Amino acid sequence: MAGQPDLARVDLVAMLAQLTDRPTEQPERIGSMELAWLVHLVEQRYDRRLDFTDDQLAGIRTIDDALVVFQTALAVANG
Amino acid sequence: MNGNPSSRDSDATDPDWVDDFLFTGKPADVCLRLPDPVDRGTLHRLVTAAQTRLDAAGLRPGGAVALRLPPSLAYVVNLLATWRSGAQAILLDHRLTDHEVDRALRRLTPQVVVAPVRTGGGALRVFVEVTEGVTRYGDRPAPTDHAVIQLSSGSTGPAKVIGRNAADLVAEVRRYTQLDGVALPGERLILLPSMVHVLGLVGGLLYGLHAGVELVPPERLSGGAVLDAIGAADSPATVLGVPFHIGLLAATQSDRPLPMFTRMITGGELVSATTVRSFTERFGVPLGNMYGMTEVGVIGTDLHGQHRPGILPVPGIDVREVAGELWVSCPDSPYLGHTDPSRWSEGWLHTRDAGTVDPDSGLVTIHGRLDSQVSVGGMKVDLTEVEKTVAELPGVAAAVVVWDDGITAYVQPVGTLAEETLDQQLAERLASYKRPRTLRLLDQLPRTTTGKLVRSVETLRTAGTS
Repeated sequence: MAGQPDLARVDLVAMLAQLTDRPTEQPERIGSMELAWLVHLVEQRYDRRLDFTDDQLAGIRTIDDALVVFQTALAVANG
Repeated sequence: MNGNPSSRDSDATDPDWVDDFLFTGKPADVCLRLPDPVDRGTLHRLVTAAQTRLDAAGLRPGGAVALRLPPSLAYVVNLLATWRSGAQAILLDHRLTDHEVDRALRRLTPQVVVAPVRTGGGALRVFVEVTEGVTRYGDRPAPTDHAVIQLSSGSTGPAKVIGRNAADLVAEVRRYTQLDGVALPGERLILLPSMVHVLGLVGGLLYGLHAGVELVPPERLSGGAVLDAIGAADSPATVLGVPFHIGLLAATQSDRPLPMFTRMITGGELVSATTVRSFTERFGVPLGNMYGMTEVGVIGTDLHGQHRPGILPVPGIDVREVAGELWVSCPDSPYLGHTDPSRWSEGWLHTRDAGTVDPDSGLVTIHGRLDSQVSVGGMKVDLTEVEKTVAELPGVAAAVVVWDDGITAYVQPVGTLAEETLDQQLAERLASYKRPRTLRLLDQLPRTTTGKLVRSVETLRTAGTS
């Protein structure tokens, strides 16, 4: 995708660190607020809107879950 | 006074208070933008139709309706219909689990439950498209004449049950009308907090309806959607939110001019100086602050951001400091059932907030909690409730729940207990915002020499990583 490398776990961790002002360790579990924050920053980074379903987001419990959902959504948006 | 229209007195205990106090203004006046406009005439018609459905399901004047709805037009309509039916509204956050809701319903015995049959509109919606179902639940009258019942995370495990009567809600709306810095008639309120909780309910929905302020929930929870909502019309726009929303806005990159953006006001926890600076540098509008509680509503404000971290009590509310704790005037106990005298006594609510009141300026400064309550995105969560829930799970021998940059649970299992199992069980019992962000399973929890569980974050952290 134009000018941006693929989204990686480390990117999500860095985005969460911006929210919590906690530069190092992030809890593995994420709540709805963290999720909204990640969607906001991922959309901004790739300059596109990602339309998720409620079920997709409801299934996200961890950073790794979020990564899979985001990568899928970005791939669809690119396809 | 802020220029709001003076309202005629209403008999606030009568169902007529809805028409007399909230449905003031012309039928063609827009009260909600979702984003399609909903005018007062349309809302009134929807409310009347909902009253018929509630009645058909068995609601009688003096009964109660449990509303288990996300913020939505259906929620607004059924809430107003409940009140216009002379009934009590029990507000259940839609994120509560079946386990939590069942416990509340058994305790509060509503006649009717309103819950979604279908929701839509996509993820991260601030206002959800809901098709509601109305179900008969019981036939007992409500045990009190409160207009609204709300649950607050409780220090003894189950939720505290808080009741407010219509006169109290009307009085709170009137307090808003006397504040300098709130959205004025004809202006817009970009509403982010849930209307199921006190800030969004009274400071948003009820104030907006009474004062003739358009309520505009952004299309979804993102910084860009909030900016779009602000820029959607030329009339002045005030954003109402919690501290998390400040970060969302400050992190946007749009350079679109927003001359209509008047102010942002947040309730909930205090905002750091860095956050304030990044917001005001980015938008050049005041960032106001409010302090309130479910029990009494708005207590104090600093809507111009001039006294941070202090707030001034709103008209009609007295705040005093007793042995380091803030007490707030509250003529009647807001609690249903037995009132713990350490929470309310003789017309004063004991907030359990540590704070000071400046004798000269009257400014109130809050220093933090004196108990185990924490704020998660503006939602109050009592760690005792979380700990009790974790400790009662099958397979758990003991648990300690602390705040360590997030809700953190240390769990001693009876035998082998998979984290996944624990996660799953918690998801059935606790609403998502109450669940631990970090779970640590330990063979033995740290204990004192007398066998008591250690609650020191440092000690637990060390035990959790060793």
